[in-house]
Amino acid sequence: MKLKALSGRRQERVAYLFILPLAAVIVLFIVVPVIGTFWTSLFKDVTYLPTEFAFLSNYKRLFTDSNFYQSLRFTLLFVATTIPIEMVLGMIFALILNERLRYRNALRATVLIPWAVPTIVAARTWELIYNYGYGLANYILALLHVSGDPVNWLGSPVSAFFALVLADVWKTTPFVAIILLAGLQTIPEEIYEQARVDGTNLFQRFFKITLPMLRPVVAVALIFRSIDTIRILDLIYVVTDGGPGGSTTSLSLYGYKYFNEGDFGYGSAIAVVLFILAFLLSVSYLRIGGFSRDLG
Amino acid sequence: MRARLGTISLLALAALALTLSCGQEKEKVTLMLGGAPAEMDYWEELIADFTSRTGIPVDLMRQPTDTDQRRQSLLVPLKAGESDPDVFLMDIIWIGQFAASNWLEPLDEYIARDDFDLAPFFGDIIEFADRYEGSTVAMPVYIDAGLLYFRSDLLGKYGYEEPPDTWSDLVEISLEVQAGERNQNPGFWGFLWQGAQYEGLVCTFLEFATSNGGMLVDRQGNLVLDREENIEALWFMRDLIFDHEISPPNTYTEMKEEEVRSTFQSGNALFERNWPYAWGLHQSEDSPVRGKVGIGLLPRFEGGRHAAALGGWHVGISRSSDAKAASWELLKFVVSREAQLGFALRLGWNPARRDLYDSEEIAEEAPHLVNLKAVFETATARPNVPYYSLLSRALQQKVNAALSGSIEPEEALAEAQKEALDIVERYGR
Repeated sequence: MKLKALSGRRQERVAYLFILPLAAVIVLFIVVPVIGTFWTSLFKDVTYLPTEFAFLSNYKRLFTDSNFYQSLRFTLLFVATTIPIEMVLGMIFALILNERLRYRNALRATVLIPWAVPTIVAARTWELIYNYGYGLANYILALLHVSGDPVNWLGSPVSAFFALVLADVWKTTPFVAIILLAGLQTIPEEIYEQARVDGTNLFQRFFKITLPMLRPVVAVALIFRSIDTIRILDLIYVVTDGGPGGSTTSLSLYGYKYFNEGDFGYGSAIAVVLFILAFLLSVSYLRIGGFSRDLG
Repeated sequence: MRARLGTISLLALAALALTLSCGQEKEKVTLMLGGAPAEMDYWEELIADFTSRTGIPVDLMRQPTDTDQRRQSLLVPLKAGESDPDVFLMDIIWIGQFAASNWLEPLDEYIARDDFDLAPFFGDIIEFADRYEGSTVAMPVYIDAGLLYFRSDLLGKYGYEEPPDTWSDLVEISLEVQAGERNQNPGFWGFLWQGAQYEGLVCTFLEFATSNGGMLVDRQGNLVLDREENIEALWFMRDLIFDHEISPPNTYTEMKEEEVRSTFQSGNALFERNWPYAWGLHQSEDSPVRGKVGIGLLPRFEGGRHAAALGGWHVGISRSSDAKAASWELLKFVVSREAQLGFALRLGWNPARRDLYDSEEIAEEAPHLVNLKAVFETATARPNVPYYSLLSRALQQKVNAALSGSIEPEEALAEAQKEALDIVERYGR
């Protein structure tokens, strides 16, 4: 079969044939499970009770569930806190790594290390660092004679929250930095030259040239990070397991607990809510990123 | 064209061969369990012994050590009705849920057919934990109950002959010894116990409450979480941390079994509440407290009684198993006198067979177990209902919140009671 001999129509059909395997994978492994979860959430599906169709009663129950609201509050607050910090820090790292430095390649590799470490391993390490009795954090505090008593890092909802923020930011800032760096490298040097000739200062160049040109890249980083963070489970499970008193339970963790206890219907409803939130977030970022404009 | 036909027929042959070989595995028993590496090694030995005696091959499916993860990896195949695993171990608190979900093969027929004698076992435990709607669905493998560990050398140093009988005695002794020991060892604490937000906290709370005359479920089967005695006990738990300060602030954030054990074992505590497993580790070659540890009953409140939470692991056969007869043989082997003795002497587990505690072997090589028999016979069980894990989670959260100081014990238990009643309504039959 010689492709160039085919008419436009047949070329199109052949092209669809090539896409078919990928489309099948997407439908089978993504669309079907999502629809399946939606479907399960409409049932009272508990392993030790007869399964019955319950329509929206799981969602009605969510509305009056104070633990659900606590998880929702925590998750949204967590996203709203970590994302800005990651983006700002990531941008700073990217700008530095974009400069012609002596050991630039080594620096770039080093910066990626937190991202490369498996989350579970990093989470265990942070758990040990925050440990009250023999953790590194309290050890350093004692060395510096900062406080008399050791600090109970994971002991209050507020300090546990910020302990988790720190662990998450440490892990994911490199990811943001690398993505933004890739974007920075596509900005032609001539634009900056021209701007310098025109007499602009550093801040003006950053806000008037760099940032607008990075908009699509920033949007991509925002989408990835937001969807990842809103689903966060492994870090929290290891470091606090949702404690103390359930104050650091993320939505994912909340749903997971129900699955583990046999209530698949309610767990699925929580998963659906999470899906909708993540979806709304990504859609709003796409608008910010101005993708529709670029495609036009 | 010919080449393509050749490839297709080769693939078809391979597929046929695969399905045929799968069919041959029908007689093999798949055993699913998790545990520490030393425990897993011993299980390998055990099933090799079983196979050499009976000719039945056993496949060991390994799980993580964490109990929640063990349940999770069981939940998936059981809910899907898969034929593997055939035999598996369950935490005592899962039996209600597994039985009600129809995942456990009833054993009464097998017991009757083989004339299997249940008398050597702890009858109360089988009656309460292993029976569901009249039929026996599991057998105990080993028993656990909460104990008080103490530093006998330190008690002697400060002039005390006996471990404390009441909680107020424990506080008094702890304050004195803690003040004295802190001169050399600033990280020394009087009393360590599990207070983190997890299942273990329910056991600890159950012990404190029961030792004050409180309870989670009354004799009629109603939930009574916010009873006066329970609230008093919860106040006492909180006072240990913030008022008497003999328990560290991370009691309610980090203290689980291993945290408590390792802190006590490194010599930094006077009293410890833990399961029997800690004994063997405290007595190990490189333990700083080797030979200096005693065990006894947990103290009681004035007017209350000594209490211990009942734990342990049980064995069951999957209803969807494709090798039930062979699985029953394996089950009998696991709870046999020989295997149980092996568990006791090699792993430090407490046998589920009551007759072993009076045996010569135990008296010689594990004498500390002899006294534990009485503790096991009077241990307090957690409610054996299918929705127990949901109840537990609600209780854990509220008790932990009270321990951390964010809400008062009265409020915590009232909210727990409300959530629990909600759970019963939603998940009860």
